[in-house]
Amino acid sequence: MRRFISFRDFDWVLLAFVLIICGIGVLEIYSATRQTKFIGFQQKQIYWIMAGLFLMFLVSMVNYQALLENVHWFYIASILSLVGVALVGTRVLGAKRWIRLPGGQHFQPSEWIKIVLILALAKYFSDLAGREVTLRDIIKSFLIAGIPMALVLKQPDLGTALTYVPILICALFLGGIKLKHAVGILLLGTMMIYPVWRWGLKPYQKARLTSFSEPEADPRGSGYQIQQSLIAVGSGGLIGKGALKGSQTQGAFIPIPYTDFIFAAFAEEHGFVGALIVLLLYFIVLMRLIQNAQTAPDRAGTLIIMGVVAVLVFHILVNVGMVVGFMPVTGIPLPLMSYGGSSVLFTFLALGIVNNIRMRRFVN
Amino acid sequence: MAATAKHEGRLRLSLFAAFFCLWIFAICGRLLWLQVVEYGFLTQKAARQQQRSIEVSPPRGVIYDRKGRELAMSVQVDSVFAVPSEIPDQASTANLLAHILKIDPKEMLAKLESSRSFTWIARKLDNNVAGRIRALNLKGIYFQKEPKRFYPKNDLAAQVIGYVGMDDEGLAGIERSFNQRLSGRPGKMLISMDARHRWFGRVEKNPEPGQNLVLTIDEDVQHIAEKELDAAMQKTHAEAGTVVIQNPKTGEILALANRPTFNPNNSRGLDPKSLKNRAVSDVYEPGSTFKMVTIAAALEEKVTSPNEVFDCQMGSIVVGGVRIHDWKPYGLLTVSQILERSSDVGAIKIAMRLGEDRMYKYIRGFGFGSQTGIELSGETRGITKPVNRWSKMSIGAISMGQEIGVSPLQLVSMTSSIANDGVWTPPRIVAGSTSVAQGRTGTAQTVVFRPGQQHRVISSFAAAEMKRMLEGVVLQGTGKNAILDGYSSAGKTGTAQKINPLTHRYDRVKHIASFSGFAPVNNPAITVTVIMDSPLGEHHGGTIGAPIFARIAQQVLEYLDVPHDIEVRNPQRMLLRAKAKPEEEMEGSPDHVGEEVAENDNQQEPPAIVASAAQPGGQGIVPATYHSVTAAETEHAAPADGNPALLQSSKSLLAKTGTVVLDVDAAKTVPSFLGKPVRAVIEESEKAGLEVDIFGSGVARQQNPMPGARLPTGGHVTVQFAR
Repeated sequence: MRRFISFRDFDWVLLAFVLIICGIGVLEIYSATRQTKFIGFQQKQIYWIMAGLFLMFLVSMVNYQALLENVHWFYIASILSLVGVALVGTRVLGAKRWIRLPGGQHFQPSEWIKIVLILALAKYFSDLAGREVTLRDIIKSFLIAGIPMALVLKQPDLGTALTYVPILICALFLGGIKLKHAVGILLLGTMMIYPVWRWGLKPYQKARLTSFSEPEADPRGSGYQIQQSLIAVGSGGLIGKGALKGSQTQGAFIPIPYTDFIFAAFAEEHGFVGALIVLLLYFIVLMRLIQNAQTAPDRAGTLIIMGVVAVLVFHILVNVGMVVGFMPVTGIPLPLMSYGGSSVLFTFLALGIVNNIRMRRFVN
Repeated sequence: MAATAKHEGRLRLSLFAAFFCLWIFAICGRLLWLQVVEYGFLTQKAARQQQRSIEVSPPRGVIYDRKGRELAMSVQVDSVFAVPSEIPDQASTANLLAHILKIDPKEMLAKLESSRSFTWIARKLDNNVAGRIRALNLKGIYFQKEPKRFYPKNDLAAQVIGYVGMDDEGLAGIERSFNQRLSGRPGKMLISMDARHRWFGRVEKNPEPGQNLVLTIDEDVQHIAEKELDAAMQKTHAEAGTVVIQNPKTGEILALANRPTFNPNNSRGLDPKSLKNRAVSDVYEPGSTFKMVTIAAALEEKVTSPNEVFDCQMGSIVVGGVRIHDWKPYGLLTVSQILERSSDVGAIKIAMRLGEDRMYKYIRGFGFGSQTGIELSGETRGITKPVNRWSKMSIGAISMGQEIGVSPLQLVSMTSSIANDGVWTPPRIVAGSTSVAQGRTGTAQTVVFRPGQQHRVISSFAAAEMKRMLEGVVLQGTGKNAILDGYSSAGKTGTAQKINPLTHRYDRVKHIASFSGFAPVNNPAITVTVIMDSPLGEHHGGTIGAPIFARIAQQVLEYLDVPHDIEVRNPQRMLLRAKAKPEEEMEGSPDHVGEEVAENDNQQEPPAIVASAAQPGGQGIVPATYHSVTAAETEHAAPADGNPALLQSSKSLLAKTGTVVLDVDAAKTVPSFLGKPVRAVIEESEKAGLEVDIFGSGVARQQNPMPGARLPTGGHVTVQFAR
């Protein structure tokens, strides 16, 4: 059955747009860090991107079918690594999220679990092989996603834990969940909101979630970041203040303008036009991914790609939504633009799997 | 079944994509809202938190004299401010600064702690203090240039110019009355701050400089006035003194000096007495100088003529039931002699013939009782009662300058109206203003002075008679000390008792000695009024005021290059003046009213003088006013040969407007045409770029403006020729 796998089938168009976005990100990181102690981060980001590209090509070589067949091992390893973090992890800013590696780098397992979850859920639903999704299947999938989610929430890392939700929803939705079950879950979820709010969240988490709706109420506290972000975006105007000239960015009014609020920094310096162009680029990338999902050789391939799309869409919408005041501040980075090794490597790894599937679309 | 599942899958995928598109649209809409609709509001918000604006004072307009010399200017000096959040050790920084600035370290520390982002440490420092702070090279301490007012001539015309407070606000004089025009608009210094209140750069909006003012004051003339006033103060030990010099034709004040005075560069802790601009804000009883009004009014109303003889009743008259004594008993005196010898009885008799209503009309006509409208703050109207509030004896008192309050400036204006053919011209001290285009200095700026609203008070005929009589005062009367060398002069002395503010009665010791006059008589170039307040010892207008007038007028006329109208070093005049000097009581005792009359030692004037006064022609002293005398008055008619001819028509030819030209390359200096033939004058004027208006023939005798004056290119010079 094996046929020759060619890089001719690699999605170069997708890669080109991805790299344009990465380039814009690097430039904005330069602008946002040049007057801070993080100066030079754009160089590090370039290294991460290069590493990501390498990883992407590497992953695209390994048949995704093989990955799927071994997904239970990955899954067990993930759970163990999360337990490991809870036991021997480094505590940073009150949360245990990282394991210190011998090389001095920090490893954040919760990022990688996204990929494992995508694969695991894709495998589960594709194995149904046309059979109707039963309540039992739903509960099983909830458990698959729920265990790592609970462990990440324990760290605590609400933002990352939330990114697992769209993976699950996407898998259920495209896996063929029946409408009545979907409505049931929706109702149950709605009913759960109050108890979770009342007992499940810590006060600072609540504050974060509410402050976006009325940032003026607490300008010095959690509302401050949103306030500053809005001022930055708004004062950018139609065409922006110009590269390196954003006073909100350069003056460190925007919190962490090189990671979570990089879109705010970009929108300030390049205005409405610039922001629109970036959104358009993301749109093209995502549409290209969805197209790849449609042309995937099998159901598992579609589900994997759509899982990747779900994660990226969630990141983009929540991050940009946060910048423009639609969403609470959750610490979710903007994929491809925000500075950060884990984020970059995850994204390229995910794109590698997408290409892996695309390159094998004529296999079956 | 499989097909529908696949179809269902496709549908769900599309739904997913649609959901994503919807989100993207929502975000685009939100971006549009923030970046376009809310743009202004959010930009403002950004600016508010990022920038703090500090006002930067604008350079105040320069005050120039009529020749473009700076009387008040602004220089750039250092101000020091701190950005306290950048200072590593506030306590030690405060100590160092406090030591240099000589203030309490605690106070300095409190200043540094008052703000995190900005606080002034000290403003407008001396260069060496600023240098010492700069040498410390302290972190978080910055310098900003700010304009500081500087008066290069120190106390010259101090009360006219005034001074400014710490934030450059005019507190007196021109600085105050023209504060708004001089100040300009403040600029902004923007300090941009980041979220941690570190300063990261600043932008400045340049302040808009104020307008420059050009005064009619001539620095040199002012200097002469001040120098002579100083000398007189030293000599007479007077409490205060005022000198005003005016161009009688245009009303321009050429100099205005007051003593005591102050240095506006050092405006802290000033004595209010020295700040007072007495020339405009002092009200005093003028005394005999006011007889000019009485007699001018009588001549204009034709109730008398210069040669009519009055019986001065040997120095005593009863007015309204009160007996008034003259300082010296006189018998029969002509009106001219009444003025010359300053007979109170004569003046009273003339005034009584004139009547209260007509008297009052001329008092107001000469500008008393109302502000002259000069561009200085604190001008008084004087004290002038309307006729219905006059008592029976008021007419008598007022005729000799009592029961009326005038300002020195009003007296100058009155004297100038007589000098100016009977036309009252409002005194003016600001010629105009110029606005400096930014970055352009020293470019041509011409300010044209226009006199204010003039009005005729007496006819030119009556004015001419007054001039002649006032020249008589100088030549034969109480004002002999006002005789000039080479110029004819006219004027009136005045000696008034001061009213003691405690008793409201006339003080026996304190007097105000004054002289108000003009020169040359026929074509007056200047009016000079001198008022000395409470000189010690000698206190008469003739002995105190007239010599000051003479010294000032002599120098100013020569400075202005006014042609001599009489022989220089005329021995008879010199002799006359020399004789006048030792005479202690030229005018005798001051004017008194009623029972407060002091006993007079009947010191007789040397008969020779009296005799010569009666027949001036015989003495060979020819008043310059001979031409104005009517044919009937033959005794003055014959002009002496060799007396430089003054042409009767000249006055009417000369322009009635003065032009103040403020410095400049474009302006032309008027050459001296005097003594040159018509052809040479035309050639020379062409070379100078000026137009000449020629009258008469022969050689040039008179010109207006004077040599050395500056005119814009193409300006007109009137030249009078005579053989």
